[in-house]
Amino acid sequence: MKQAFAWIRRRLNLSYIVAVIISIFVALLIDAIILVAAGHNPIAAYRGLIVYPFSSLRHFGDMLEYAMVLCLCGLACVVGSRVGIFNVGGEGQLLLGGLVAAYVGSQMSGMSMWLVIPCAALAAMATGGLYAFIPGILKVKLKVNEVITTIMLNSVAALICSFFSSSVWKNMSQNEGIDVKEFRFATLIRGSKLSTAIFASALVTFFVWYILQKTSKGFEMRLIGDNPRFARFAGLKTDRIVIIAMIVSGMMCGLVGMFRVYGAEYAFISSKVSNEYYFEGLMVAMIAQYQPVPTIIISIIFAILKSGARGMQNAGVTIQIYWVMQATVIFCMAAQTGIRASIQKARQRRAAERDVAARREGGVANE
Amino acid sequence: MTDEIRFEHISMEFPGVLANDDISLSIRNGEVFALVGENGAGKSTLMNILYGINTPTAGSLYVRGEKVTEFSPKAAINRGIGMVHQHFMLVPSFTVAQNIALGREPKKGKVLFDNKKAERLTRELIEEYGLEVDPSAEVRDISVGLQQRVEILKTLYRGADILILDEPTAVLTPQETDELFEVIRRIVREKQMTVIIITHKLYEVMAISDRVGVMRQGKLIGVENTCDVDERKLASMMVGRPVLFDHLEKTGDPGEVAIKVDDLFVADNRGLPAVRGVSLSVRRGEVLGIAAIEGNGQSELLEAITGMRKINRGRVTVCGNDATGKTPGEIRAMGLSHVPEDRLSTGVDKVASVTDNLLVGRQKEKRFNLFGFHQRRSTVERYASELYKKFDIRGAGIHTEVGSMSGGNMQKVVVAREFSFDTPVLVISQPTRGVDIGAMEFFHTRIIEKRNDGAAILLSSADLDEVFRLSDRIITLYEGKITGEFKADAITKEEIGLYMTGTGEGAKA
Repeated sequence: MKQAFAWIRRRLNLSYIVAVIISIFVALLIDAIILVAAGHNPIAAYRGLIVYPFSSLRHFGDMLEYAMVLCLCGLACVVGSRVGIFNVGGEGQLLLGGLVAAYVGSQMSGMSMWLVIPCAALAAMATGGLYAFIPGILKVKLKVNEVITTIMLNSVAALICSFFSSSVWKNMSQNEGIDVKEFRFATLIRGSKLSTAIFASALVTFFVWYILQKTSKGFEMRLIGDNPRFARFAGLKTDRIVIIAMIVSGMMCGLVGMFRVYGAEYAFISSKVSNEYYFEGLMVAMIAQYQPVPTIIISIIFAILKSGARGMQNAGVTIQIYWVMQATVIFCMAAQTGIRASIQKARQRRAAERDVAARREGGVANE
Repeated sequence: MTDEIRFEHISMEFPGVLANDDISLSIRNGEVFALVGENGAGKSTLMNILYGINTPTAGSLYVRGEKVTEFSPKAAINRGIGMVHQHFMLVPSFTVAQNIALGREPKKGKVLFDNKKAERLTRELIEEYGLEVDPSAEVRDISVGLQQRVEILKTLYRGADILILDEPTAVLTPQETDELFEVIRRIVREKQMTVIIITHKLYEVMAISDRVGVMRQGKLIGVENTCDVDERKLASMMVGRPVLFDHLEKTGDPGEVAIKVDDLFVADNRGLPAVRGVSLSVRRGEVLGIAAIEGNGQSELLEAITGMRKINRGRVTVCGNDATGKTPGEIRAMGLSHVPEDRLSTGVDKVASVTDNLLVGRQKEKRFNLFGFHQRRSTVERYASELYKKFDIRGAGIHTEVGSMSGGNMQKVVVAREFSFDTPVLVISQPTRGVDIGAMEFFHTRIIEKRNDGAAILLSSADLDEVFRLSDRIITLYEGKITGEFKADAITKEEIGLYMTGTGEGAKA
């Protein structure tokens, strides 16, 4: 029994879970004050927020699709950070992946879906991976800070996308965009954006979790992320593993872009394919402390919050107030490290007090 | 003699530790008092209370019969207490006189710093106490031994007559240590100063002190007249059980050459030459010790051999394979293990568990992997527990985060991992830095076991006694060059000291 409890404690980081729950609670409390100050009934507002994503199948489907995107983006960030490289360029990798996937689809018009979808997915992954390889190799070979390069490459990607989708590769009659309506993942819930892409996402998610947590490669990745000098000392090929992780991270982002095009929008239109989704995924990963399972869970919490905005608007709360709310929640969740540290400190102090008391009674313990 | 300082039932509690537990101690005027104990025994905490850095949680402190109410370094300095820390607190680009005057500068017209006056005051001080040093030299240009004198002069300039020295000999050569002791004796004899010296080198206690206090786990275990005790007695008081400093049995004859270094040139982190043309060889079944003062190229030399640092020129051969310019992983595969100098930055993954740290380097072995990729956690944990027991690692078990362990236990994790590879070549740097006496014995025995089993061992240590105890041959390094090579039983520590400072005459066999 005691052993089982110790096992659970080791597996479930209780102080982390408690800290996250406290942080959400604190955020909701602060927001309640803001809501009251703005003349709203906080209970009604919160009710709208929580209930909305579950109020109809369609809303539920949209929420899940959004959670899926956040989860994959978050995991892409986790893969990089596991080896100590911070991929902030996922947004660009996602967009470029979506663009190339859409282009491939538009060129394969008339062919079997069973051929086009895999081709588009491979093209998207190759593009995303290649685009992540650039900052990866610069980091490893020339020690160029990857945060700066990836951020800058985001703008480059966004401009490339709007150029190609509005002129050269454009095939829609009125607006900018590349139409791929011909091929699509089957919609799971009518009227929502949820498609069979979620199964593919689940597979990718499982795969990432498995490699990071259960294999010797994942073990090596963690060593590099924790202490690169030690990893090199221990004989690992650190440079190679870092570059591969960066490429995989980019491939995942590219794939998200493809999912967005073929699963949700059926066309490549920059502003619709991604609205800084990668950055929200990044935030999820940070709050989840770059751990795969918490990333999955927090993606869902984030998706509920985000899609609940409409519910709050229905309850009469203006969208600006909602944004303030969202920011406080994120802020408090990001602050959970502090909460957690204080929980652990209190625990240590209690243990130390016991120890000191025991030593006072028993004198100096001989080993 | 009167009581200069009196601690009465002093306790100091930090969150999580009772660093000082009910300590009552008197230190007499005009004596040299040695305070000994292992790392974490509470010596420094007690002295920090005296110097006003810590305020005790209970008890009282009397200086010259007066009860201390205000704990701050400033108040302590005003009471005539001076402290020389282990790490010097000097401005490298200032001159000796400027450093000494810093904080109480003589002024010209109340604003401008009067450099001439500072130098004059310094010179007076130097003459008065006989501490020879050039007042106008910049601190970065003078040796560590002289820098320590500057620190002592600084406390004297501020009017100290109680001097606390925290591990003063850690960075000194044997000659510099002798000179320091000469200075201490003189200021005590002629100026009636009281000197408290914190150390864990027992022969120094015997050499310099009048009385000695032993601390263990925050408590004062005993106070003795130095002439009534010997090193063995002090060691067992420190550890709490008899310590056997037995002769280490060295058996077997040296075999073939396993490490060969030819005319090696290596740069340090700033790109300046650190190793300048070193050639050496180590045979199987022998320990080659490197004796050098910190910063004379020994760290860079070992890093170059193990592949952690770029080689500019020269050649390294490990077990007959060319290891020049190879990665650490490739050199390990040739049959080399490495206990690194700085275990925290190089030897462990602090945030990973003991299990993971013990596994590193073996993570690809068949027995730990199902189908070649799935890590078999239960087998890994079983393996880790075996090593944990075998190397007598003490802590909260194999799931403990390594970063939360004591220095000695962390080092045991590193040594357990590296020694378990059973390689013919071992490169060991600072095996017992920050490790207590009890564990020191353990590491020494293990190293000699490896030697007797036929490993070629290259050892570097800042602790000269350790080098003498373990090595068959000793080389001295000075400014990146070998200044001498000796059989360990054919030379004394004092002689070695000369070669470590580059003043030895020629090389012996």
